[in-house]
Amino acid sequence: MPVDAKHLAARRELAQGISAVERPGPAANQRIQQALAASAADARNALVVGLTGAPGAGKSSLAAALADVARAAGRRVAILAIDPSSHESGGALLGDRVRIDEHPDDDGRFTRSIATRGSGRSLAHVAAAATILVEAAGFDLIFVETVGAGQAEIGIARLADVLLVVEGPEGGDEVQAMKAGILEVADIVAVNKSDRPGAQAAFDRLRSGLALGAGAPQLALVSATAGAGISELLATIDEVGVGRGVRGRIRRVEAHLVAAAESHVDAQVREATASGALTTRAEQIVTGAQPLTGSITALFGISESPDA
Amino acid sequence: MAEHTTPIRVLIAKPGLDGHDRGAKVLARGLRDEGFEVIYTGLRRTVDAIVAAAIEEDVDVVGCSILSGAHATLLPKLVASLRASGASDVLVVAGGIIPEADRPELEEAGISGIFGPGTTIAEVATFLRANARRR
Repeated sequence: MPVDAKHLAARRELAQGISAVERPGPAANQRIQQALAASAADARNALVVGLTGAPGAGKSSLAAALADVARAAGRRVAILAIDPSSHESGGALLGDRVRIDEHPDDDGRFTRSIATRGSGRSLAHVAAAATILVEAAGFDLIFVETVGAGQAEIGIARLADVLLVVEGPEGGDEVQAMKAGILEVADIVAVNKSDRPGAQAAFDRLRSGLALGAGAPQLALVSATAGAGISELLATIDEVGVGRGVRGRIRRVEAHLVAAAESHVDAQVREATASGALTTRAEQIVTGAQPLTGSITALFGISESPDA
Repeated sequence: MAEHTTPIRVLIAKPGLDGHDRGAKVLARGLRDEGFEVIYTGLRRTVDAIVAAAIEEDVDVVGCSILSGAHATLLPKLVASLRASGASDVLVVAGGIIPEADRPELEEAGISGIFGPGTTIAEVATFLRANARRR
């Protein structure tokens, strides 16, 4: 039985909206504003869950497993899977759908692969805007899955209501768990692949490392592929996210504004690099022909603080 | 660094039952290096699943790899289903083992490009750039 065309009409509209906001400009802004107005009118407060972790930790599989459990409970679930664009070609290989079972007839699910494009950071500039559109389309649980887990990577923390860091069974030692970075901003750390040897030990190491600090994240031991601990993890996610109200949407607009500013700066940096202006200015600074102070304004159009 | 335009989005799909995806993966990787955004769906997808994925990903191109001989059944069904879903501007191309004799029928059904063994990545990339919809 073929997929009904009208079945797909709503998903198509959302999909085209996301493509539209990937091209920044007045039209994109208008779409985002319309989506925010629609969500406000319907008092929608989607729960946005950020998933991050090292490659191979099992983020896609875990997002898929959580989505299945949530969908079975009648929730409308979306997955936004963000993967890096190549700096060389500008292309990207987006493979997260491989780990997600397709449900072509189910309008209560939506999956979109997003490339970071020019962002030069692990979180695509469009992530916040896409999340705002998905929320307005009536999805109440949204997983945003992103590459990395670099220690400086906190863009996803800005966007998500609940930040879930996924670790593999070989996860770091106690000292790594104490380092500053993504674990500091994590709400929940899930050790995945609990069916593999070493997972319990990794979990114990994390627990003892994290227990030394204040505001330690919640810990979970799960297996996405075996389905172990997934319902419990979803319950923990809901507990952390409870009571966010309109605050979640405000957070997403904040994330979008920061992304728009970063996008602007990234574009200026690319332009100054490609045109040779960056190198010229650097040469002039080296020879003393131009002062260092004022160079950022001259090159990138960013105002420098007077006493910097 | 590529020109700063919106990359062409391509869904690489393996419809039907054959389990050989080496070719699909080589193409996916190759097109990435040519500046395309490639979404790979994995093995053994139904036509309905491919159509839904193409819609959700808002792709410009669906490329199917078929080695099983089921192309004459699956590909026209895929094109018809995309059209019924309002995605008639999505380019559908196919690769794999597709006999010369079957090509006219497939082209008639709306398959825009058919790439057999020996096709280079560059040839596919050139074809897609020339024929995919513009944004």
